[in-house]
Amino acid sequence: MTDQGDEGANVSEPLDLVRLLLDEFVFVKLRGDRELKGRLCAYDSHCNLILGEVEETIYVVDEDEEDEEPRIESKKSEMLFVRGDSVVLISPHNE
Amino acid sequence: MSFFGFNNSGHNQAAPGFSQAHNPFAGLSHRDDEGEALEFDDTYDGLGDQLEETGDDLNDDTFGGDVAPTGHGSVGRDFDFFGQTSKVANVIEEEHMRFARQQPPSKVAQHTPAPAPQSYDYGYQQQQYARPVRTGYEQYKEEPPALDDLQVDLSLWGVAPKKQQQPAQAAAPSPAPARKILSVEEVEAQMRAQAKKSPQPPPQQAPGMAPPPGLQQQQYAQQQFFNNGYQYPNMQQPPQQVPPQHFAPLQPQVPRPQDTSREPAQPAHAQPVQILQRPQSKHAQVPSPVAPSPVNRQQPPAVQTPQGLQQPHPGQGVHPTQILQNPNRLSGEHGQPSPISQPSHVAAQTHPGHPAHQGHRQQQSFSQQQQAPLAPPQVAMLSKEEQDAYLAQEAKRAKRNHKIFVMSKDNGIMTPQDKNFITRIQLQQLVQATGNPSEFGTDQSLVEDFYYQVHSQIQGGHRQHPSQPLNNFAQTYLFQTGSRQGGMRRHNRGGDNHMQRMEQQVQRAVEAAKNKPKNKQLVIEGSLGKISFSNAKTPKPLLNIKRTESSGEVQRPGTGSRTQTAAGGLSRKEALRSIEAVYDTLMKLEDHERWRPPPPVSEVEQPDEVQKSIEWGEQTARLNAKLLEALKVGAPVGVYPVHPFITLLSFNKTIKVMQRVFRHLTHQQRLTVLTLIVYSLDSMDVVKGAQVNNTNDIRFNAAMKEKVELFMLNVMSTLFNFIGELDLDLVAQLLEIVSDRNVGAIAKSKIGASLLTMILSRAEIIKHAGGGNEHSWQKWNYQYTRFFDHLAPHLPYIFPGSPTSGEDVYVWQLLAAIGIGASPDQQQTLVLQVKDRVMDTVTLAKTLPVELSTQRLNNVNLFMHSIGLDVGLLA
Amino acid sequence: MLFFSFFKTLIDHEVTVELKNDIQIRGTLKSVDQYLNIKLENISVVQEIKYPHLSAVKNVFIRGSVVRYVHLPAAAVDVPLLEDATRREAANEARKRNEK
Repeated sequence: MTDQGDEGANVSEPLDLVRLLLDEFVFVKLRGDRELKGRLCAYDSHCNLILGEVEETIYVVDEDEEDEEPRIESKKSEMLFVRGDSVVLISPHNE
Repeated sequence: MSFFGFNNSGHNQAAPGFSQAHNPFAGLSHRDDEGEALEFDDTYDGLGDQLEETGDDLNDDTFGGDVAPTGHGSVGRDFDFFGQTSKVANVIEEEHMRFARQQPPSKVAQHTPAPAPQSYDYGYQQQQYARPVRTGYEQYKEEPPALDDLQVDLSLWGVAPKKQQQPAQAAAPSPAPARKILSVEEVEAQMRAQAKKSPQPPPQQAPGMAPPPGLQQQQYAQQQFFNNGYQYPNMQQPPQQVPPQHFAPLQPQVPRPQDTSREPAQPAHAQPVQILQRPQSKHAQVPSPVAPSPVNRQQPPAVQTPQGLQQPHPGQGVHPTQILQNPNRLSGEHGQPSPISQPSHVAAQTHPGHPAHQGHRQQQSFSQQQQAPLAPPQVAMLSKEEQDAYLAQEAKRAKRNHKIFVMSKDNGIMTPQDKNFITRIQLQQLVQATGNPSEFGTDQSLVEDFYYQVHSQIQGGHRQHPSQPLNNFAQTYLFQTGSRQGGMRRHNRGGDNHMQRMEQQVQRAVEAAKNKPKNKQLVIEGSLGKISFSNAKTPKPLLNIKRTESSGEVQRPGTGSRTQTAAGGLSRKEALRSIEAVYDTLMKLEDHERWRPPPPVSEVEQPDEVQKSIEWGEQTARLNAKLLEALKVGAPVGVYPVHPFITLLSFNKTIKVMQRVFRHLTHQQRLTVLTLIVYSLDSMDVVKGAQVNNTNDIRFNAAMKEKVELFMLNVMSTLFNFIGELDLDLVAQLLEIVSDRNVGAIAKSKIGASLLTMILSRAEIIKHAGGGNEHSWQKWNYQYTRFFDHLAPHLPYIFPGSPTSGEDVYVWQLLAAIGIGASPDQQQTLVLQVKDRVMDTVTLAKTLPVELSTQRLNNVNLFMHSIGLDVGLLA
Repeated sequence: MLFFSFFKTLIDHEVTVELKNDIQIRGTLKSVDQYLNIKLENISVVQEIKYPHLSAVKNVFIRGSVVRYVHLPAAAVDVPLLEDATRREAANEARKRNEK
């Protein structure tokens, strides 16, 4: 809206959208059929993240039971560092 | 004409090898001690030329047969290497022997600057080895600046004994002239030469006096100290040619910071110096009578010696240079007329370009001589005990000196220049590894490592920190954001803290009110009658009406943002962007704060400072405007369903940042923010999304509960402090604004109730402080009555949960704040409205453990006391 | 450098490193570098029976690139400061971009 001339808040790069999500709940999709939901505490240009109040969802497909729906595992972590090379996408999460 | 061109008469003395210690590059650098300019041809020994001329003649002898230009065929394979050539080989030896005999050694030649063609007779063989004298480092000797740097490095690396010795040695204006670079072989040769010249053996070499093996080393070490002698003006035994008077003028000649910086350390050094010197003095006792020199007699006036031995033997014939060369030559030296040699030495001392390799040479000579027995005969003159003590001390010293020797055995391997170079590399690496010390405290160093640096500071500095300026920054940062940091860490306690303060404020007001009960009648009447009276007036209908209104609000989602998106205010994304702009501007403001220029002392004298101040102020104003714009505080009120600022305030991160923002707002801006909040209270999600219900437990979800806590912690405490500064008129205005809003809904939230408590108790505080004029009070009373009328019907429903939940402290506080200012009628109404809750709580308290019970009753008493009652009356 | 800076503050804290091959190693963070390589001491593998490979190992050096997660002790993290640091980092990045 009115942030012209403010290079820090200008959304000129994709990562600046991530900045808007700081301290907000985000949804993060990771490689290996994993998803995270949590409060975004930190990120950098490599998409390394730190999330608080994290809930991790893993979709496990058992090889021997191909027909079955993927098993869903859920884990919680109070604070989690996520290495950027696993990150597929980051989006705002509206509960 | 000799084969090797030993033309003694006309040989160029400057040619290398013949004047062995001569700096071969001296001529090249136009530094010519002898007054001779050296050409390349001069430095070239010229042997090749000679060979060329004469060699052809001997070719036949050498290669056999007559090599006529008849053709290749004449060159046979029968080279005669043995027959003819061997003759030539003999010639070499013969030539040498003859030469040696012809030219008896002359020591004088070494010390007189005049060309001494007859000297160095013994030198040829040595000369071959002595060549390395020209190590290529010579040029460095002429660069005192390098020494300067080295001294700095020295202090930087700490002064280990070895290090200390090395550079000092290298840098010391040693009394030896430049030409005194002698190799081991030279030394040997000189010894031999001296032996010839002065055949009488040195007395101290007399066998039988088993000396401590380390004596030589002592001598060596001692020489090291002599070299450094100028650094120890209080030395007992300065080098012979350098009486203390010479030290002082010497020092300025070598402008090295190290010199002065070492001065304080002298006392510590003094003792070792003395110890080391002692053997020397004893040793020197013998020669001193032999060659008494007037200069030698000179004794430093400030001598304080525990070793009286030295006193009678102050001077000695020991020539410092010669010591350097060879301790064993001591005796030989005394045969020489030392006065002759002196001038050259004194002159040499002022010579700026002196060899840096003395230590090295010294060592070589020393290690060669190590085995030589040395026994000062004067030991025999001592008493038995003295001898024992002496020997014991000698042994000690020997040990110590051996250590020094071992440590310093590589001394002189590197030139000062080399060391300087290495040191620079090391320093560079250090700087790279740790960062430039001068950069600490600047933003540059914090940009990359901000979190660590500040976090470490916040955590009480249990880690080591590289620099102070950084500390300053962290403190600045802490100062600006400190309460936020502290608050976040003590999440729960922080909230209580703030509540406690408010409670205290209410309590103070209540106490004050209790001291002058306004309604004695009520007290006298007791509570029973009231209770029955109020039973008949249960305000159910009112409840129902309000319920419909508030229930609709309760159903709205807790995360206010989404509801507002559609309402024409800020979209979520716009809001988030604006909030980030707030943070960005805020951080800039905080950084800017650090650069606040000191107020100029005088406007006339410091126009620059004034200008800086003005610029700083302008920048602050710009940032402030930006901050306010980002906060959307200036948006028109009433245009949007929800004011944009209140929308921002529905985000946790805005709530978190409010305290920091407040610091950078003016009073008027703060008032605007406060007014906006009060005006919008019933539309704030922390109020309307957190409405209480007295039948069930609090309904809103955990996230909202957390948000309310966050709001209490960050915003309410800030507002509480700010309201504490307001005068009665402003407080009355706030109350007026609140009364225009949905007071019931406001009071039914923790945030709303707390804010009401703040406003009411502030008025009470002003009252007790005697503030406010009559007009203001009239206004206030009017507003209060209006407010009370609005609120009274809601009072039974503002309690959170059932009495068992125990979360109703803040409600009792509000009731107390209301009760203090209430008229008797209003008080009666109050009692009627909340008596059920009072009775329930009292009943509940009876079933609770004493501690909890007391706590609950105290909560109720907050209110009861405010109207002059006590729960005790109900029991 | 934000995360390097961050991890330095966690030195001597217990963390659980989850590798990309699902092994979770719990241990005391002893050092970290700019590549976020990690050195852990006194380690234990979370599902020891499933992953017995490291039973005999006490200290490990973990290459940063094989890390998926690091589970952090929330009490040791100053979240508001971390967010501020992130904003600063982002602002720096933006400034660098603008300078280019």
